[in-house]
Amino acid sequence: MTTPTAAATAVLDARGLTKDFDGHTVLDDVDLQVREGAFIAVMGPSGSGKSTLLYNISGLDTMTAGDVRFAGERLGSMSQKQLARLRLTTMGFIFQHVYLLKNLNLLDNVVLPAYLAGLAPRGELNERALTLMARVGVVDLADRDVTEASGGQLQRIGICRALINQPRILLGDEPTGALDSVAAAEIMDILGQLNEEGTTIMLVTHDPSVAARTSRVLYLIDGRIVGDRDQGRFLGTGLEQRHRDLTAWLLAQGA
Amino acid sequence: MRRNAHPKTVHTADDRSVDGDGEVHSDVAGLQRAVPRRGRRAGRLRLYGRMAVNDVARNRVITAALVVLMLLSVLLGAASTGTLVRLVGASSDLLARADAPHVAQLHAGEFDQDELDRWVAGRPEVDHQQTMLLLGIDGANLSFAGQPQTESIQQNSLVVPSTERDLLLDLDNRPITQVEPGTIVPPVYHERQSGLEVGDVVTITGPDSYAKDLTVAGFARDSIMNPAIASSKRLAVAAEDLEQVRAHTGAEERLLAFWLEDPAAQTAAFQKAYQDAGLPQAGPMVDAATFRLLTMIGDGMVAAVVILVAALLLVVAVLCVRFSFLTAVEQDYREIGVLKAIGVAPRDVRRIYLTKYALLAGVATLLGLGGGLALTPLLTRNIAHYMGSATGSWVWIAPVLAAVLILAVLVLFLLVLLRRFDRISAVTALRAGATSQPRRARLRLHRSRLPVQFRLAAMDVVGRWPVYVLLFVVFAVSSFIMIVPVNSATTATAPGFVNYMGIGSVDVRIDLRHDGPTTMADVDDIVDRLESDPSAEVVAATVTTRNDTVDRDGVATSLYTANGDHTLLPLTYAEGRAPTDGSEIALSLLALHESGREVGDRLPVTVDGEIVELLIVGSYQDITNGGRTAQSVLPTDGAEVVWSTIGVQLATGTDATTAARDYGERFAPARAAAIGQWQNQTLGPVVDQLQVAAGVAVLVALALAVLMTALFVRMLLARDAGPIAIQRAIGTDDAGLRRQYLSRVLLVLVLGVVVGTTAANNLGEAMFNLMFEAMFGGFDVLFQGTSQIDFVVDPLLAYLLLPLALLVAVATATVASSRSIATASIASLTTE
Repeated sequence: MTTPTAAATAVLDARGLTKDFDGHTVLDDVDLQVREGAFIAVMGPSGSGKSTLLYNISGLDTMTAGDVRFAGERLGSMSQKQLARLRLTTMGFIFQHVYLLKNLNLLDNVVLPAYLAGLAPRGELNERALTLMARVGVVDLADRDVTEASGGQLQRIGICRALINQPRILLGDEPTGALDSVAAAEIMDILGQLNEEGTTIMLVTHDPSVAARTSRVLYLIDGRIVGDRDQGRFLGTGLEQRHRDLTAWLLAQGA
Repeated sequence: MRRNAHPKTVHTADDRSVDGDGEVHSDVAGLQRAVPRRGRRAGRLRLYGRMAVNDVARNRVITAALVVLMLLSVLLGAASTGTLVRLVGASSDLLARADAPHVAQLHAGEFDQDELDRWVAGRPEVDHQQTMLLLGIDGANLSFAGQPQTESIQQNSLVVPSTERDLLLDLDNRPITQVEPGTIVPPVYHERQSGLEVGDVVTITGPDSYAKDLTVAGFARDSIMNPAIASSKRLAVAAEDLEQVRAHTGAEERLLAFWLEDPAAQTAAFQKAYQDAGLPQAGPMVDAATFRLLTMIGDGMVAAVVILVAALLLVVAVLCVRFSFLTAVEQDYREIGVLKAIGVAPRDVRRIYLTKYALLAGVATLLGLGGGLALTPLLTRNIAHYMGSATGSWVWIAPVLAAVLILAVLVLFLLVLLRRFDRISAVTALRAGATSQPRRARLRLHRSRLPVQFRLAAMDVVGRWPVYVLLFVVFAVSSFIMIVPVNSATTATAPGFVNYMGIGSVDVRIDLRHDGPTTMADVDDIVDRLESDPSAEVVAATVTTRNDTVDRDGVATSLYTANGDHTLLPLTYAEGRAPTDGSEIALSLLALHESGREVGDRLPVTVDGEIVELLIVGSYQDITNGGRTAQSVLPTDGAEVVWSTIGVQLATGTDATTAARDYGERFAPARAAAIGQWQNQTLGPVVDQLQVAAGVAVLVALALAVLMTALFVRMLLARDAGPIAIQRAIGTDDAGLRRQYLSRVLLVLVLGVVVGTTAANNLGEAMFNLMFEAMFGGFDVLFQGTSQIDFVVDPLLAYLLLPLALLVAVATATVASSRSIATASIASLTTE
């Protein structure tokens, strides 16, 4: 059980990815392939370059050297506008603090990327948003403001917003970092289910119990991938054991 | 590792304030190190100063713009105050040095000095009386450096300068007592307006090919006839030259000047007594207050407008300080919380911010005051030339006071703003990291069909309107100060404006001064000749008499009444209609106000020595003859006749200028002017100043709008770093974000322009009328409705071109300032 059987093509293919910042190398010659349907956790100590990796493979940040292909397209040869379009239509982002727009209500926050992409009539997009919200259990909150929902509910809204344009990959930067353990587990259940249904997911996390639910864990130190553990697909059982195994592995990596 | 344990601060889920900023933390660290020294005042002040300096360095552009705004406000405030003080000082100085008369009567025709002397001898209040001979030279007989003066409406007269009182002064304000034979000293007006220079030749011609050349030896300041609006001008020559010219040409007129013991108390009574005594009075009578008003009106108006602009800028500066302050507090919210958490008293936190803004305001005030003092001589060049430079300490004290006042307003406002600090609690500041209470979204994106960025812009403007108040006020003020002067200039130059000058729709106006019984025959002759002239379609002659009446207090006063058929070439009546016979009278708005009566009331008027109660049937706007005129159909064979006016409506296709020149030649010494030309020359200086003011105002407004837009957009981007980063992360491209910010600004612009333009057309019109009220009625009649001019709006200019110019300027400033959108990154929001 290493990778999903179907559509085992690489969504993302990064080679020699290097990022310097103020004369300091944050990412050092990173090679990384992400296959369609993968569920990856990126771990590492603070300052190891986890988030920087996420921002560089998504074109939010400009790499210093290297070659990143997303769905076969070279990021380095794309304009800012093309990169924005790529993020809009093929990537979904979830963040630790969700980062919703306060002057929009929750449904508006979900439909915003869809309206920006403009790939379908707005009525249809509204329907799609409500369907997604119903799926993650927050459809009742559609008309509420950002200040009128809990952290876990907001993160579900964030997931809906990330999925609204049916992206090829879902990228998460500590999506459970600001949640209590119950809410975090619920979010991971949702992500696991989405991955079961074929969504490619890549998360940055500090939390081994989050990483234990993924199928592959990368361990970064000082901008290099020092460990790459294929731990098989999460089947919903044996979580305790997976957690223990992963922790042992992490210790072996120098964590 | 614990779940959910994060090494940094506590965040709420929707927190998006800028964090992980190295500068922020170093400030806090610096402060924490400083805590043990808290008891030491000097150390604390140094710290606050350093924080203020750091903050200024962090927001260089915003700080610079804020300083510029405060600086401009102080600069204009100081400069306009300085101008006013210099104007008042210089005009008083001129009147004093020239020993200007308290009352002056112009008289054309028969004159007996002995009779006047006898009357004066019986008037104890008269301190001194002096008579000066004015030899009026018709424009057709006068040329300046080869330029005939036929089209000038100025009445030019040769005089021998007086040596005792009512002096003409040279450009160093020394009395001109002697003019060399063969030379001439015209007033400064002719140097400025007619382009005469020293060494030019002034030629006076007369019948039998008489010609007299006089060389310009210098220019004179004339305390009572200086400005253009006083339509008589005195040109000083040697006594022998005057006698020589007098033998050939010229209309004799006398200026009877009176000095009173106590002018403030005695002027009105003296004027009445003089008129009652049946003394020479074939011409206008004016007093010192009028000289002063006429002298100051032009430059005074400019200074008043500049003061108004300075006040508006101060309002904008105050709003801008508020906006910048709130932005800074929003950015520093967490630091403020830290300061409070480590035990710094609110008073001291307040002091940090007060230090910053007080430093900025202080610097701006000093620079602005310096600039204002340097600018004042430029603004007062005209005043200095016409009247000389004012001296005295007030010239320096007044601008300083104005600057100090503006600084006081800014500091007071800051103190009020800073009270907000007391409401920030340490815990909420640390946790929430934002000052503004989130308010419920009012508009819904998912119910809109509008383009996304435009809809988002509208939602932001509606949802966060207090943020946009500053920009809205700026745009409203900008359109206001652009449109009011432009509309004023358009109105004053519009053909219909003659309606407000007491004249109906005539094409050519012929004026004839009465200087003897033959004049009436001349008028009849001109009318006869015009009526047989195919180029003249309608000819309407009015004969103006001076009649006695009473004002609202029952005090006798005199009134210029135009008599004739007022229905031939009717003017626009503010109320009522034209008088049709000798029992009816129509009054100018100012005269009506002063009579204390209303249309429908009766007014006692002395006609042929008898008091007749005339029915007031109408009122109209008139800005000629001091604005106090009347219309009736009274007998005109008495001695009260002062002048006649013949209005001509030309047959279609006849050119007014050509016709006026033709009439001028045929009917000399009557003066004929095409109405546009007459309007131009009568209102000329006012219109010139209005047009200059309009040009300057448009530039100032555009500059203000551009500066404030640039400032606002930068501050808004700083405030919106979070939402911008979020939108970029989810795939909004920079062009889309720029479109959104441009839409926000333009939405506010549209609102501002609508409000500003509406205000300009109402409030601006009222201001324009106030200006005329002040000009013609003095300050006593302000707000009494004695001027009821409707704005004539050039829709293309006022509703299309000017807003378009503002739009282009604002859009350019927005696009240029929103380049920094590209630097907002989600990475800067995330705590790594």
